[in-house]
Amino acid sequence: MTTADTAKIELFDAMTSVKKDRVLAAVKDARSVMKPTEIIDALAVGMQEVGTRFERGKLFLPHVISAADAMNAAVAVLDKDLPRDGAGKQLPSVVIGTIEGDVHDIGKTIVSTMLQCAGYDVHDLGRDVPSRTFLDTVKEHDARLVGMSALMTTTMRNQMEVIGLLKEEGLRPKVKVMVGGAPATQAWADKIGADGYGENASIAVRKANELLQVGEVTQ
Amino acid sequence: MTTEYKLRRGDGKRIVMTRAQIMEDLRAGTADAAELGSIPQLTEDELDKLADILTAPGRMVGVEEGMEVPVTHDIGTIRLDGDQGNSGVGIPASRLVGMMFHERALGADTMELGHIDYSFKPVKPIIAQEMQAMEVCQQNMIVPLLYGAMPNMGLYYTPDGPCENPGDLMKAFKIKEAQDSTMKAAEHLTRDMVWIMQRMMRSGADGVNFDTTAAAGDGDFYATLKAVKTLRQEFPEMFIEVGMAGELVLGMHGEVEYDGKLLAGLWPHEQVEMVAKAGASIFGPVVNTSTSRSSPWNLARAVTFVKAAVKASPIPCHVNMGMGVGGIPMFETPTIDAVSRASKAMVEVAGVDGI
Repeated sequence: MTTADTAKIELFDAMTSVKKDRVLAAVKDARSVMKPTEIIDALAVGMQEVGTRFERGKLFLPHVISAADAMNAAVAVLDKDLPRDGAGKQLPSVVIGTIEGDVHDIGKTIVSTMLQCAGYDVHDLGRDVPSRTFLDTVKEHDARLVGMSALMTTTMRNQMEVIGLLKEEGLRPKVKVMVGGAPATQAWADKIGADGYGENASIAVRKANELLQVGEVTQ
Repeated sequence: MTTEYKLRRGDGKRIVMTRAQIMEDLRAGTADAAELGSIPQLTEDELDKLADILTAPGRMVGVEEGMEVPVTHDIGTIRLDGDQGNSGVGIPASRLVGMMFHERALGADTMELGHIDYSFKPVKPIIAQEMQAMEVCQQNMIVPLLYGAMPNMGLYYTPDGPCENPGDLMKAFKIKEAQDSTMKAAEHLTRDMVWIMQRMMRSGADGVNFDTTAAAGDGDFYATLKAVKTLRQEFPEMFIEVGMAGELVLGMHGEVEYDGKLLAGLWPHEQVEMVAKAGASIFGPVVNTSTSRSSPWNLARAVTFVKAAVKASPIPCHVNMGMGVGGIPMFETPTIDAVSRASKAMVEVAGVDGI
């Protein structure tokens, strides 16, 4: 017989299996003994474990995305029973891209995907993105955070240019800036006046949460 | 008053530590590697040796007599000619002059010819030029001369290549399509690398250096292993060096296997088994530097990983030492104090066969 305790364990196990069918089945069983918000909390614990395993090299990007997909599907199933005040709340918009002159986008894509999995409204501009495009997209989506990647020491200086444009347009006070990429460091972020630097994708998401004062979500 | 030593943080910043603090960070660094890779920690004697190396009074250090190892350079062909943007020194010099300087004046034991784009795919349209350059270089040089480039599978994804970008597909939750696209790109990559090296071998190359292998994840690694296997079958005597891009094979596909083993998530001591099995002659392990940790932490961690790789390896291990790898700070031109200490540690504690 399903109890709240056994349902919680199954929700956790289902989420860490990263299989959508299993997660939905676990949610179906749990609904008879748990409130929708409790089910989402239990799934979020599983999602956090998926993030930890990703960080430790035990699970990989497709697994994280499958888990996020399963989480979204579960929330969609539970949505109509959720209290309206917090249901379906979207996290702030984030603009992310690899800076102009630089075509390396694998690291940036991992960060972008992890932010999306964490619930942010991510606008990924791809790679070799002109500085002005960052600015225009921030305005278009009223973004609260800009993330810029660069793999090369020759291109990383363009991160400075975007910060300059944000200042010129008077947007800097309300838009946080994060930088990343192989040659970027905290010292570089400090030097160019960025608000944050993430050494890897998991740290980048945590740093974004801190900067935007977002509590731990599904990450 | 306790003696303090000037060291580096992973981003190159000067830091000051006591010997006790150094030992504490050394223990934490080796423990981190051991836990991640399920490998043994360094012993207290080895950590003491690392502390001695780190606190040695000279600005730079060298290996003990009799422990010298071969050294080679990937970017040597353009090290002189390149500007600071690619770690060069901005002295106009041809690729041949750059390589000959390394051979005859700078002590390099092997060299490679590489193109400024330094990926295999862009070499295809200029293959005739590269073949001619190889032939001319071989006529002038004595040390083994490889052809070097990065597999760089990202060039086979849109907008540069024919395969849909798995990153974009995954963000749309199209996991299967992303995995299929990865495997398609891997096929293109293997074919191109083999095609290019067949021609370079006909032009007198002594072998190949696959540099920054697996930069695009497990599919990139898979494609390179397949190319190694094919080349080894066709050229039994060629030197094949496989240097890695990072300490962990990223699972961009997540489920691709080579010879029945999952490639995603392999650490250096596991990577080398695959590389050797495919037929490579030399393995180049990489351990990433954390920019927010001290040099003792980074060095102990890197030496722990590399020591395990050397122990597991049936082929020589030539560790990657440079900007942001091997316990060396992430710094445009890494400082000699950090480079020489990390290199000595890799030779004397990790037991590498070359750098």
